[in-house]
Amino acid sequence: MTARILRPTILLVLGAIWLAPIYLLLVNASKAPAQYAADQVWKPISDFALFDNMREAWEIGGLGEAVTSTLLYSVIGPALAVLFGAAIGFAIVALRLRHGFFWFVLVFGGTVFPLQMILMPLFVGYVEAGIYDSRLGMIAIYTAVTVPFAALVMRNFLGGIAHQVFEAAVVDGASTWRIFWRIYLPMSTSALVAVFILQATFVWNDLLLGLALSQSNDVRPLMTAAAALQDTYGGLQLTAVLAGGLLVSLPTVVLFLSTQRIFSRGLNLGQF
Amino acid sequence: MRLRHTGVAALAASTLVLAACGGGDDEDAEGAAGPGMINFYTDKGAWEPQFLEVSDVSETSLGLGLDFTGYSDAEQYSAFVRQSFRTDEKPDLFTWHTGSELEDLVTEGLLAPTTDIWQGAIDNGDVPEAMREHFTVEGEQYCVPMNAAYWVMYYNKDVFAEYGLTEPTSWAELMTIADTLKAGGVTPFYETNILFSFVWFQTLMAGTDPELYNALGTGEANYTDAGVVAVMEQWQSMLEAGYFGDPGDQTAPQDQLKNGTVAMINFGTFLSGQLNSVDMVSGEDYDFFLIPNVNPDLAQTSLIFETGPMCTALDAANETSALQYAEWWMTEEAQTAWANARGDVSFNPKALVQDQLLAGLNEQSASGDYLLLERYFEATPTPVLTAALDGFSAFVTNPGDPTSILQTIEAEADAYWAEQG
Amino acid sequence: MSAPATAAPTTPSRGSAPPEPRRRRRNTYGWPARGFSVPAVLVVAVLLYLPFLWTTWISFTEYNGLGSPSWVGLDNYRAMFDDPNFATSLRNTLIWVVGSITVPVGLGLLIAVLSHGMRFGGWFRLPFLIPYAISGVAVGVVWRFVLQNGGGLSQALDALGLPGADLRWLSDAPLNTLVMIGASSWQQSGVNALLFVIGLQSIPREPIEAARLDGASGWRMFRHMHWPMLRPLTTVVVGLSLVASLKTFDIVWIMTKGGPGRNAETLAVTMYEETFVNSAYGAGSAVAVFLSVVTFLAAITYLRRQLSPERAV
Repeated sequence: MTARILRPTILLVLGAIWLAPIYLLLVNASKAPAQYAADQVWKPISDFALFDNMREAWEIGGLGEAVTSTLLYSVIGPALAVLFGAAIGFAIVALRLRHGFFWFVLVFGGTVFPLQMILMPLFVGYVEAGIYDSRLGMIAIYTAVTVPFAALVMRNFLGGIAHQVFEAAVVDGASTWRIFWRIYLPMSTSALVAVFILQATFVWNDLLLGLALSQSNDVRPLMTAAAALQDTYGGLQLTAVLAGGLLVSLPTVVLFLSTQRIFSRGLNLGQF
Repeated sequence: MRLRHTGVAALAASTLVLAACGGGDDEDAEGAAGPGMINFYTDKGAWEPQFLEVSDVSETSLGLGLDFTGYSDAEQYSAFVRQSFRTDEKPDLFTWHTGSELEDLVTEGLLAPTTDIWQGAIDNGDVPEAMREHFTVEGEQYCVPMNAAYWVMYYNKDVFAEYGLTEPTSWAELMTIADTLKAGGVTPFYETNILFSFVWFQTLMAGTDPELYNALGTGEANYTDAGVVAVMEQWQSMLEAGYFGDPGDQTAPQDQLKNGTVAMINFGTFLSGQLNSVDMVSGEDYDFFLIPNVNPDLAQTSLIFETGPMCTALDAANETSALQYAEWWMTEEAQTAWANARGDVSFNPKALVQDQLLAGLNEQSASGDYLLLERYFEATPTPVLTAALDGFSAFVTNPGDPTSILQTIEAEADAYWAEQG
Repeated sequence: MSAPATAAPTTPSRGSAPPEPRRRRRNTYGWPARGFSVPAVLVVAVLLYLPFLWTTWISFTEYNGLGSPSWVGLDNYRAMFDDPNFATSLRNTLIWVVGSITVPVGLGLLIAVLSHGMRFGGWFRLPFLIPYAISGVAVGVVWRFVLQNGGGLSQALDALGLPGADLRWLSDAPLNTLVMIGASSWQQSGVNALLFVIGLQSIPREPIEAARLDGASGWRMFRHMHWPMLRPLTTVVVGLSLVASLKTFDIVWIMTKGGPGRNAETLAVTMYEETFVNSAYGAGSAVAVFLSVVTFLAAITYLRRQLSPERAV
């Protein structure tokens, strides 16, 4: 019985601590620039200027142009990565790929390189291949950097599906493609969605790759444009920077909100 | 199930089409910098509105405009520019740094010379002759000045009025002001341990022994010399006396001055623009004065200045028009537009600066009373600078015996100058 | 290498085939298996491995990003190991690794277990996921509010009458590394919780029900039933945290640039400072190669141990 009260209580207390920095973000993003004072960050606001600040960040940052391309990158890149990751996971776990561990480590190993260091060769390679500053090039690199994570999660998740499922399907005369597409993928919806939203968020928030591999307004991702709002040399007011940061984060927050249902549902891999 | 997969496939197909469109845009982007537009890159991404304002002026008067690409990250920017020389995406026009960074590019033969442009501008009175040496490598000039800034002492006028203080004319007076403020519970000076930790070293060194200051930059003097140690000890005593704000306070300097957290900030004149942006009014809420020499016996007052070059890559796609643009940039028309857009001073003495305080500074600096010294940041070779910034940042955070810090910097300097031969 | 059955007899062995695979199966799916692996292998090889080969080559040269690199052999590596700051970076990186595979992993597990199977469990988890969704620019500003001297954290401690308000959170080592691990846990715990949740969801109901009928509940139920079956996802979470923590860069660079002085520097910060600030590409690349090799060895050692039962198949 105590557990029924204790569990939500612990979660609520922890959750409140977790939301404290978010509170700071909201309150200060809502202050009119003249009202903001650095030594009173906890103090709530009297005037509500959130939308004015957002508008200022939006207009000065020229964020509008970047939305389409960023949306494209954060949908296609992770979607392909999830598929590729699930496919190699399927090959290793269900099809028993020879030297599966080696290939798996090879793919996962892509995540050990510090991204900052591969930017320069990538930039030069991209220019030579003619895909510098193109949406295609951006999608390609976003797919590549999200594949290792997808492969690790999907390989381990698919490993939990009993091999009898595969064998039964083979007996029924299904092709490997059909087994992958119609049985394994649907069974791993929650893992696929989890990987997708986590990686889509990563791509949406990426600053580094966008900076190095793109230049024109309709190719450059959103965060690269948003980051230019403030630097050592000044720029927007802090309140507007926060409001802009909040504004560009809204889609990912909504994404997390709208997918919660999937993770509340039970699923049972053993019974298939 | 079938329906859902079809939906996914349709979504994937349509997004791929969109992506392909993006690929097509690539061609346009390259085409956009054809006649009339020049690819312009800068690490001062936050200045985009001001650059575009000037670009509007140039489109009418010169028929050339800027295709702006801003970076918010100076380090990434430097790497991008360096690597771009290996490719066909060489920047037409880009901002850079004077000192060893400029020499690096010239040594590799990557920049278009601007010697003729400089001669014309000097003859025309558009730029002080003294500025030329900072753009000269082995007898030729490269790049043109993008901006100029002087390092002065900003102060909060309300705080000064409250304590009945006036602008000091000597170091002793400045110290009296600091004592008065401290006695009243106000922190006199701003200090930070991130990036701008060199500022007070620069001020104390240049105001005590400008020759030694310059010699440090050229490797003719050592960081362990008695003169440098003395300056560090003076800084230490000021730190220990509580003259400085908390170096770990990451609140922006303009906010600290506005809130009265600190009464004075030793900073470049680009702070004016930042102060204006937090609704402080020049001459009403804030003002600045030139920092008096620590050593009263010096003939001229040391004045730190900085200038950022605007360069053209040799064999850039639009090299000719980019050089035309650089030439125009130094003119009175361009500099008037630029200084007023930015709210900063200009290197061109003929530029009409609207801000009265800055206009005054523009005239003052041209008189013979001041000894212009290059900012420490540009005057120091990069590896030495990195070691020095680390050392100063540790020093202001935990003031103590400066010996080991100076030895670390000197070791880096020794290695650098040995390699330079 | 024959893998002994790792699952205790009382725990159901989930997933992997019953202990039949002693004899080597003839793989009839050679070509389809290769086909399914090609896309992932290809993008990673071309876009991640190939560029890093260049970095590896640069680590044996002296190069300032301009002109052509000149071969110096192992000089950069020698200089790296001789640099006293390298030890500091290494130490800080180790603190990051230990901190990251305990705090955010532990918290993530706690959040997942507490909220799993609860009504509105998803909503209880949401506060922990929001930090991950917020853009880095805003997160940097907010944490500066919180952690600067006399900032939000100090004000809050003061108001609550707790000690510590005058600590210099970001100025003194190793405190600065520890509070930054806290900030990073703030962002990561929710992600880990989400991964643990999909692990919990995939646990079959029958054995759990059976155990419940046997009177198991609470901690015992978790210890003997859930925990062993969470292993695949625990591997994921710990593996990812291990790799990410070895490469810690963003938060340190945003909050302190590795200082004051160099006391909060991690290996990735050293690498970045050498390469991008000093334009000493060779020296920076040497650190990058060292870092990658260490990360790779750590990851492979860990994964090999964790995944070994399936390797025997």
